[in-house]
Amino acid sequence: MKAAFISYNQTHVEDIEEILNQLGIRGFTRWLDTQGRGTADGEPHYGTHAWPAKNMATLAIVDENIAPILKKRIQALDREQPSHGLRIFFWETCDV
Amino acid sequence: MKIYESSVKKPITTALIFVAIIVLGLFSFSKLSVDMLPEIEMNQAMVIVNYPGASAEDVENNVTKILESALSTVSDLKEVRSTSKDNTSVITLEFNWGVDLDEKSNDMRDKIELVKQALPAGCSTPMILKFSTDMMPVMYISATSKESTNNLYKLLEDGVANPLNRINGVGTVSISGAPKREISVNVDPNKLEAYNLTIEQIGQKIGAENINTPGGSFDIGSETYALRIEGEIKESEKLKEVIVSNIGGKTVYLKDVASVSDTIEERAQETYINGQRGALIVIQKQSGANSVEIVNQIREKLPELQKNLPNDVKTTEIMNTTDSILNSISSLTETVILAIFFVIIVVLFFLGQWRATMIVIITIPVSLIAAFIYLFISGNTINVISLSAISIAIGLVVDDAIVVLENITTHIERGSRPREAAIYGTNEVGVAVIATTLTILAVFFPFTMMTGMAGIMFKQLGWMICIVITVSMVCALTLTPMLCSTLLKRKHNYVTKTDKLYAPIANGLDKMDNFYERTLSWAVRRKWLTIGMGVAIFIGSIFIATNIGSEFIPQTDNGQITGTVELPVGANVDRTREIAKRLDAKIKKDYPEIEYSTFTIGAPSDDNDNAWAAFQTSGSNILSAHIRLTDYKERDRSIYDISELIRKELDSYPEVSKYKITPGGQGGGMTGGAAVEVEILGYDFAETERIAKEIKTKMEKIKGFRDVTISREQYKPQFRVDFDRDKLALNNLNVATASQYVRNRMNGMTASLFREDGEEYKIKVRYDKANRQSIEDIENIMIVNPLGKSVRLSEVAKVNENFAPPQIERQNRERVVKVSSSLYGETLDKAAGNLQKEIDKMDVPLNIGIQIGGTIVDQQESFGEMATLLLLILMLVYIVMAAQFESLTYPFIIMISIPFAFTGMFLALFMSGITLNMMSAIGGIMLVGIVVKNGIVLVDYINLNRERGMKIIPAVVSGGKSRLRPVLMTTATTVLGMIPMALGIGEGSELWQPMGVAIVGGLTVSTLVTLIIIPTFYVIFAYRQEKRIKRKKEREFAESQRV
Repeated sequence: MKAAFISYNQTHVEDIEEILNQLGIRGFTRWLDTQGRGTADGEPHYGTHAWPAKNMATLAIVDENIAPILKKRIQALDREQPSHGLRIFFWETCDV
Repeated sequence: MKIYESSVKKPITTALIFVAIIVLGLFSFSKLSVDMLPEIEMNQAMVIVNYPGASAEDVENNVTKILESALSTVSDLKEVRSTSKDNTSVITLEFNWGVDLDEKSNDMRDKIELVKQALPAGCSTPMILKFSTDMMPVMYISATSKESTNNLYKLLEDGVANPLNRINGVGTVSISGAPKREISVNVDPNKLEAYNLTIEQIGQKIGAENINTPGGSFDIGSETYALRIEGEIKESEKLKEVIVSNIGGKTVYLKDVASVSDTIEERAQETYINGQRGALIVIQKQSGANSVEIVNQIREKLPELQKNLPNDVKTTEIMNTTDSILNSISSLTETVILAIFFVIIVVLFFLGQWRATMIVIITIPVSLIAAFIYLFISGNTINVISLSAISIAIGLVVDDAIVVLENITTHIERGSRPREAAIYGTNEVGVAVIATTLTILAVFFPFTMMTGMAGIMFKQLGWMICIVITVSMVCALTLTPMLCSTLLKRKHNYVTKTDKLYAPIANGLDKMDNFYERTLSWAVRRKWLTIGMGVAIFIGSIFIATNIGSEFIPQTDNGQITGTVELPVGANVDRTREIAKRLDAKIKKDYPEIEYSTFTIGAPSDDNDNAWAAFQTSGSNILSAHIRLTDYKERDRSIYDISELIRKELDSYPEVSKYKITPGGQGGGMTGGAAVEVEILGYDFAETERIAKEIKTKMEKIKGFRDVTISREQYKPQFRVDFDRDKLALNNLNVATASQYVRNRMNGMTASLFREDGEEYKIKVRYDKANRQSIEDIENIMIVNPLGKSVRLSEVAKVNENFAPPQIERQNRERVVKVSSSLYGETLDKAAGNLQKEIDKMDVPLNIGIQIGGTIVDQQESFGEMATLLLLILMLVYIVMAAQFESLTYPFIIMISIPFAFTGMFLALFMSGITLNMMSAIGGIMLVGIVVKNGIVLVDYINLNRERGMKIIPAVVSGGKSRLRPVLMTTATTVLGMIPMALGIGEGSELWQPMGVAIVGGLTVSTLVTLIIIPTFYVIFAYRQEKRIKRKKEREFAESQRV
């Protein structure tokens, strides 16, 4: 099992939900209104006057074999709109 | 969930809520009535007291002064004026605008009650009369006739006045100018003496012969019958056969001593319509009734009534108040439609997309229609003010929607789906949209708190715009995102036809962006040069401003001219009629623009029930005329030009002693042009009279003054019968009896009433005309004492010729003489300034005060109030902006655009030759809110760039470049929305034109200038700020080193 943390511009909320549904990932935890900034470039997402974009984050525990597919789908979505700065991170889970 | 989020997620609810608003608005619209202006509560009340037999001075001392001092303690009083003339005292109280007149009249009654005992015994109970706009007639109908002239009054009363009175909402219908039928018995005094009869005896005989008496009832068998004695004369001819005396067995018939004629009353007002004798039917409405509806109903009914009148009687509508209402309303509607059209063009030009344009445009009907709900609920009408408010708002309501749409489009272009883009795009600009709306509210909300004359005009305007703007903001935050989410599409890769069509415009806009970028970066690098140029432009505009004249309210052309022409006092009706006819014919020939002209001469008879005539000045020497011109669009000469030409014409008539021509008519009221009044306060008649005459001659020489008149009337020639009381007593007579004898012989006594077809006509007995023409005729009057002994008037009295003292006018409890004048071809301030200079040169005794009053005072008051309003608005706008930026500097930078708004306003006024008046001043005040909007958008984005880490100059230049289009777009919608108003199309548009011109000029110039000046100032302030921060840091660093 892997923990997948997806940080995304809040405009992506429905896309993410759709991907999770399509991949049969039922369980997840979601944070509304998170803030963040990319490592290399891109606009910060602070929800402020200067940087009004806001992030959301979803944490889902996914099957080992689902994880690469999820990664591919998310990266595809990111390529579609690179300015939104969509990112996915994985951790190994020790116990469920 | 935020409001825009729920509206995007629930498109049906959102759409239907707005559909409901539109339906409610249209429902309200269908229920609204149309009027010229919002309801105006008048601010004047009169107290009238009769004190029979007292001279003007007696009335002044014993009645007027007492009442004046009592009434002057009523609160909210602005001015007390009074006129004391023989027998009557009239005190007029003018209150501040907006007071409840009912309450005030109760206060007045209480005050009068307190001093009632101090009033002389012989005077009547004071009568309180409130003024109201309902007293203005809604319609005049003229009736001309040839054969039926003698019977005209009755024909009109039965055939027109009474049926019209039955129409719902019609108040009084009075007929003037139609003489009433009268049976006159003209007695030959010589024959009277020969038969030893008196007028009184003849009157009694006629009364005794012309009578019906119920005789009770009596029974015949089982039936009851009524008994009647019908002694009334059936035909006027039969009156001749009345036996008045029996001398020596010979009967004396009435025809033996008098001529009896069935004729019309001797002294009556005569009205001529287009030179033909006729009558004027004056229709007043009931309080609160809808004049447009009444006039429509009357128009519907009139042809029907015409059928029942004899063929030679023609009724024509000559004046009504509703035509100008409807014309003004329809020209304003035209303005509104044009404005909407212009706004659509602008939006389409900048966006290049049909769908996007539709989304923005839809806010216009929604927010405007919502305003009708307010009008309906608050009981207002569709009037010039509310429609103008709509016209002003059109350019403003789309602004919020444009900002929202622009941001959503940016999101979509970056790849978001329309739905998300709509929610988050709105989220980003939501606060800015609310802030800009608040600045507009900060401008228009204080309008709702205005008082005085201006309050009446602008209160409703303020509310309307506040409501429209608020609704448009709600619309921009809900409906616009919802529509964007459903109508907008993601960008496609292929090129459509519209794209091809739009390509040149898009290129042009890009070039403009680049040009602006270059200019801006040049300007911010030469800060002081740029600012120097800005200051130079502003100072230049101040020089222009000094060349702009000022007036109170712009003059409008309603196609009507009224005038009064006076012959020397004492001229009789025949002379007046002759002049009137000559003048009328000449004027009609010279001015083909005249559609109808009516003139009235003579005074109404004593027992006249014509309510309207009672309020007008009349006299045998006075001719009052009313002229209606053809439609505004069909003629080149304005009512002011024509009035001026008529004045010149009148100057060539030596018979005319004074005249007054009022373009716009009395009904014009507020907009009837400017007037200057010089008030000369002082007790001494001779002295004030002398000064008044001196001022009059001076005024006549100053450019612009017309119709200069002195308010104090001339001394009237009169014959006075002075009875010698001792001689009267010797003859067993008293003044009352003796004077009654004189009155009955000269004025006539009403002996009885002649009845025919249910109508009553007076039978009047008096001397025949041949014996009522000289002092000798009066002196020869035979007075019979109770003992039957007769004596000539000359034996007990003297008839003297002298002059009646004038009426005494007072203002704020001091005697006053007013020299008043109207203006032509010169602005009010300049004329009044020149006049003041002349007055300053005059040698005036210490106890006499001279002040200039009239419209100029209203103007100064209103301008004072405008200045306060401007300050209040500036403060509110500053507060709103300071709150938005959380800074005291940025609002200041933005407000630098305001002086340039005035620069543009002055420039536009100067070029169009329009004066600085109340409307252009209001336009200037509105500019404050409208121009700072641009600054907010600009500074906001520059700040944003700096927060994003840009250096000052690049932040300013790129911020300016990216905001150029939204700024130009919102400005263009507002400017083009105002252009129809500024062009002044249609009737009544002169009123609003100055406002339109001021806003168009001010906004255009200030936008162009501020696009450069504001960024430049921003750079200066930003550098200083940075330096300050740097120094502070250095200090702190130094301090920390020391430690």
